[in-house]
Amino acid sequence: MPLLFSKRSLDGFVEIDHRESPGFTEAEAVAAGRSYLIGAPKHFKAATFTCSHCDQVLIKNPLRTRERAHCIQCDRDICDPCGVTLKLTSVCQCQAKRINEFMAQACRAAV
Amino acid sequence: MARRTVSVTTITPTATADTTNLVDSTYPFVLQGGSSTQLNRIWEVNITGQAASSSSPTFMLLARDSTVAATAGSNITGFADAPLDPATVALTAAPLTGDAWTTKPQRSSTLKLLNCSLNAFGGNFFWRANRVEECPAVLGNTASLGEVSLSAFTGGTVGAIGPHMVYESL
Repeated sequence: MPLLFSKRSLDGFVEIDHRESPGFTEAEAVAAGRSYLIGAPKHFKAATFTCSHCDQVLIKNPLRTRERAHCIQCDRDICDPCGVTLKLTSVCQCQAKRINEFMAQACRAAV
Repeated sequence: MARRTVSVTTITPTATADTTNLVDSTYPFVLQGGSSTQLNRIWEVNITGQAASSSSPTFMLLARDSTVAATAGSNITGFADAPLDPATVALTAAPLTGDAWTTKPQRSSTLKLLNCSLNAFGGNFFWRANRVEECPAVLGNTASLGEVSLSAFTGGTVGAIGPHMVYESL
């Protein structure tokens, strides 16, 4: 029986453990970008993905219901700002392309 | 093709604004490519809070550097960069890691890779990529793609931490 591929198998993992900690106050949580970690005890575990276009690691908000930006050219999830850029330009700037361009440029410079 | 871990046993970082010199021994480490074409990938970041007595919200950021470090100095006590596999052979152009430099690195104001905020009083932060495509890449050794740093952002009340980061040179 063939194995089914799931894109969730690509997900990374983040764990923030504040079970033995005061955690963040509301103001601190806002400053830290951690609104889900107000007070204690909190133990947060979630999947992450790395935006294919900017390399930023993003936590997948388990409460998010709206569509996540996706690049059909590199077939990877991307962050919201890169999603807007992709919609405006239709140019995929995925990691593999950026690395290839960088290496090609370095090789040209070396010649 | 070998994974290494760069770590500091204990450090109390200094909160530093973006595009400001990261002063020696006030941040855990930077990772800079060993050559102009070297590719390094970051697999894992872990920060264990070590503050002893009071709430210490510590806003750690893994970010690219808009000014890259140059000319290594003496790293903080407890700093280590070691291969995970004992059979690892030293690279001809090994990536540079450390937290003391003559030319100080500066965190980019825009190219943040991972928010590692935690309360250093009893808190713990852990992130790991699952596949190589999910690892942020450090490309070459020049700004802004060629160096990343783990450092504390302004705000909060920084406390002692014990961080490590696993990376792989390709």
